[in-house]
Amino acid sequence: MSAEDDKSFIVVSINHEIAPLEVRERYSLDSEKVGKLYSDLHSSDHISESLVLNTCNRFELYTQLSDDATPQEVLEQLAQIYAVSTDEIKDHIHLRSGQDAVQHLIEVSAGLRSQITGEAEIFGQVKAAYAESQTNGYAGKVINRVFQKGFQAAKLIRNSTTVGEGQINIANVAVDLAGKIFGDLKSAAALSLGTGEIGEKTVKALRSRGAENFGIASRSQERANEVAQQWGGTPRLLSELPEYLQEYDIVISSVGAESPIITYDLVKKRIAKRRGRPLFLIDLGLPRNIEKRCGDLDSVFLYNLDDLASIADENLAQRKKAVLESTEIAAQKSKFIWDAILKRKQFEKK
Amino acid sequence: MNNMLFGLADKQWIWLATIVFASSFLLGSYSALKLKRKTGRPYILGLVTFGWILQTTGLYARGLQYGGCPLANQFELVQFMVWSAIAIYIFVGPAFRVSLLGVFTSGFACLFSILSLIFGHWDSPSREPIFGDSPWIETHAALALFSYGVFGVLALTSAMYLLQSRSLKTKNVVGGLFPFLPSIVELVSINGRLAKMGFVILSVSLAIGYRYFIQNLDSVLTVKLASTIAVWLAYAVVLVLDWKLAITSKKFAWSCIFIFVAALLSLAAVDRNSDNSSHAAAYSESIEQP
Repeated sequence: MSAEDDKSFIVVSINHEIAPLEVRERYSLDSEKVGKLYSDLHSSDHISESLVLNTCNRFELYTQLSDDATPQEVLEQLAQIYAVSTDEIKDHIHLRSGQDAVQHLIEVSAGLRSQITGEAEIFGQVKAAYAESQTNGYAGKVINRVFQKGFQAAKLIRNSTTVGEGQINIANVAVDLAGKIFGDLKSAAALSLGTGEIGEKTVKALRSRGAENFGIASRSQERANEVAQQWGGTPRLLSELPEYLQEYDIVISSVGAESPIITYDLVKKRIAKRRGRPLFLIDLGLPRNIEKRCGDLDSVFLYNLDDLASIADENLAQRKKAVLESTEIAAQKSKFIWDAILKRKQFEKK
Repeated sequence: MNNMLFGLADKQWIWLATIVFASSFLLGSYSALKLKRKTGRPYILGLVTFGWILQTTGLYARGLQYGGCPLANQFELVQFMVWSAIAIYIFVGPAFRVSLLGVFTSGFACLFSILSLIFGHWDSPSREPIFGDSPWIETHAALALFSYGVFGVLALTSAMYLLQSRSLKTKNVVGGLFPFLPSIVELVSINGRLAKMGFVILSVSLAIGYRYFIQNLDSVLTVKLASTIAVWLAYAVVLVLDWKLAITSKKFAWSCIFIFVAALLSLAAVDRNSDNSSHAAAYSESIEQP
């Protein structure tokens, strides 16, 4: 077998790209089963190194096979763990080897293969999986090199392309915009008009970015108290809005109302009391809660549901465009990493 | 008439500085717009500082010719203003933590430097100091031009504010310069601080100039006096309106840009005083006599 045909490093993957949710559920393993899989793999003579990546969207097994072993041995081990036939396993998996497997790892780590393109969480999950394999002595020379170099390549992709830039869900888009208006959100006070799910998500997203001062307004005092306690903030009565509107920098409105509850005249009067500080109005209501003309006022920035959704779509499109560029980097880097591994193997054989 | 320093003539040093300013502007813009990467402050700051050192060497070579600040003609006035703006960016800019400020400032420096270099008649061969021989009058002039440098940076941050505000208003917030521009609140704060700083420096400069003017009313041309006071008054009015909250941040930004353009045009009036330089020189002699 020539070095170029070396298929000893393989990845077996069951992921959202090839398997529906119900299949992924079946192949998801708890930590106990992962432990068993590791010990079964390492009691086999055919497998010298292994690493299991087990997240809600993907199960992946990276292995370095011993000389003359084939992927079939790995599939048999998996079939035993899942108590199914190897043919059934073959129906749901994606098998890659050599440079392709390295490229796959880089693409997964950089978020190129995530359900939400470019999400960053997966990088931490892959690192945690590598740490577990390494700590338990399941990772050896090949897995160490592939993963360490793969992480560098993934970081390069994230830093040099726009694959992870721009928020792609409405609440985070709103929070990003708030940052562009107020900078540090710690000093920005936010008011949620309405106590629905989208309001809650936006409040949570604002809090995660440093905002501390919240007002939660509802039509009933009881509901306002209850939700304010739950989300954290000051309960407010919707009917008293004109009295406290000027105290807030960010207003998220998602109230079921036939006519706008924030009118141009109300904002014009209240903006004068804000000493020039800008006001960010986020209208998530249907029908709209905030009169469109409010956005004509200087220092008032008004965004509705469609505006935010359209920004999220544009960001997603940009990320997808960046995937092509990122994939090229992943291909180049995986070739470099794999060639180095092959050279080292040849050197060791001599 | 060129003065050589380290083997290069003054204008050659200034040309080199202009090339460095142009390079940092092009690199920063390319990095932000094409590569969509943050213009790393250290490399832009390093490049701009290198350009500033080259420019300082050129201006120093000029100054050696007659033993004072090179403020003898419109070329030198513009160069000194550019030098001041870059100095503000280097020494005060990092405190603002504005990633695109270096790109904007180097673009500004490059534009005005090229204009002053290509308009040959701005660099009149006369080496008569237009502000007379007194070091105090020279200080007055240097401070006034330094304040113009501050107002130049203020015009740039005002432009950044208007750009950012427009992007947010028109919901054009994906791509372009938007991701790299600072927040509205930060820009408002920076604009306020720069306006106050420039105004204080200009006021000190005018106070020094006033001491001499009051003793000899013929020492300054009316057009120069009127234009300088108009610029000072305009900034004073804008600052008072801002303090009284009688002007929006958008109008404040536009005003700062318009006044700066007017201030630049007033530099021509200052240069016209060169016809009158003998007046100033004679006056300086008279007031320095016991």
